[in-house]
Amino acid sequence: MPFTKLNGKLIEAQVFPGQKVFSQRGAMIAYSGQVTFTPNMMGGQGGVMSMIGRRIANEDTPLMTVEGQGRVMFGHGGHNVHVIDLTGDTLYVEADRLLAFDGTLQQSTMFMGSQGGVMGMVRGQVTGQGLFTTQLTGQGSVAVMAHGGVIELPITPQQPIHVDPQAYVAHRGQVQNKLSSALGWRDMIGRGSGEAFQLELSGHGMVYVQASEEKL
Amino acid sequence: MWLVAQFRLQGSKVLAVDLMGDAVKARNGSMVAYSGQMSFKKLSGGGDGLRGMVTRRLTGEQMVVMEVKGQGTCYFADRATEVNLVRLNGETLYVEADNLLCTEATLHTGTSFTGLHGMTSGNGLFTTKVEGQGWAAVMSDGPAIILRVSQGMPLRVDPGAYIAHTGNLNRNFKSGAGFSTFFGEGGGEAVQIEFVGDGLVYVQPSERVTIGGDV
Repeated sequence: MPFTKLNGKLIEAQVFPGQKVFSQRGAMIAYSGQVTFTPNMMGGQGGVMSMIGRRIANEDTPLMTVEGQGRVMFGHGGHNVHVIDLTGDTLYVEADRLLAFDGTLQQSTMFMGSQGGVMGMVRGQVTGQGLFTTQLTGQGSVAVMAHGGVIELPITPQQPIHVDPQAYVAHRGQVQNKLSSALGWRDMIGRGSGEAFQLELSGHGMVYVQASEEKL
Repeated sequence: MWLVAQFRLQGSKVLAVDLMGDAVKARNGSMVAYSGQMSFKKLSGGGDGLRGMVTRRLTGEQMVVMEVKGQGTCYFADRATEVNLVRLNGETLYVEADNLLCTEATLHTGTSFTGLHGMTSGNGLFTTKVEGQGWAAVMSDGPAIILRVSQGMPLRVDPGAYIAHTGNLNRNFKSGAGFSTFFGEGGGEAVQIEFVGDGLVYVQPSERVTIGGDV
């Protein structure tokens, strides 16, 4: 069910019996009603493979399962929260940016290195993004965190979007992403413009970009 | 056909600039996303011309600027600060170098000497001067307020909260330090900038760390 935004940094989720919500561990601010919080060793769902993937990728952001009946407020670290409603499509987001998501969504980890071969590996290292990304598919809401507000930029086949890796938050849809480098001789001698690496996103979908170049 | 960069705000923290083959100057590394074709080139020095370059070197004040050129839309943001658009029609905008995000190519940027007081205020000896016709984007930590200064109505601002001003203003540093400041009982407002004349002052709801702010 949709999350309600209380302000830029807080969301409220309604929890009903039989409907789970997953959230980052410790992100609960307040709740009313009968709600239980169970730490989730597996980091959500997705089975053992997904867990191993997360361990290797150092992306084992601890999750907890929220169940019961009531209202729960989530927020974390004073970060801005952006709610994304999925309607059957897939959202790609880094685990540490996930604040909360509907239990109805299928969670899995995607090996980013498989996209783009060696360059994909390099991208993970350069952008600090890691080799694995969390993938959420289905019908439901996701709350992602960002430093500063989030803007949504549509991606169309005619118009690929280039994003500063540090400002990239998430993307959804049928999107190819590759690291493009604009490294020139200027960068070699320390006269770079600070925009040497960019994520190029092409295809059909949407990219979420934060108003800051600070990672969480 | 006029090749003029279009400045608009996407939310309050992201600046979107539509380019049609022309160029803008932006703070180094402040691009967060773009569509279309863009090229980024670091500019040497800071202000235009040799004089700007030399003064920058002397003072060690560094605002590293890049030139962004291309076709499409480029998005700029920096550390989640608020972005304020300022339209200049021939007047001069004085802005702290750290607070200048982006300027149109038609604008001329240079430096102006603030005086030695700049050192204590943490604002540096030089302020960036932006002149000409066009858009400039100024950053503030929190939404900026714009205060009018007119004859007979001087304004005093905390140096750490000052970001920019336009118009015909004289600025002086005033010491608000009194007897008790020397006994460690200061009010935390030992130094202020006083603006006299006619113009507008941009103030942010936050204070940079200044030496003056501690006493």
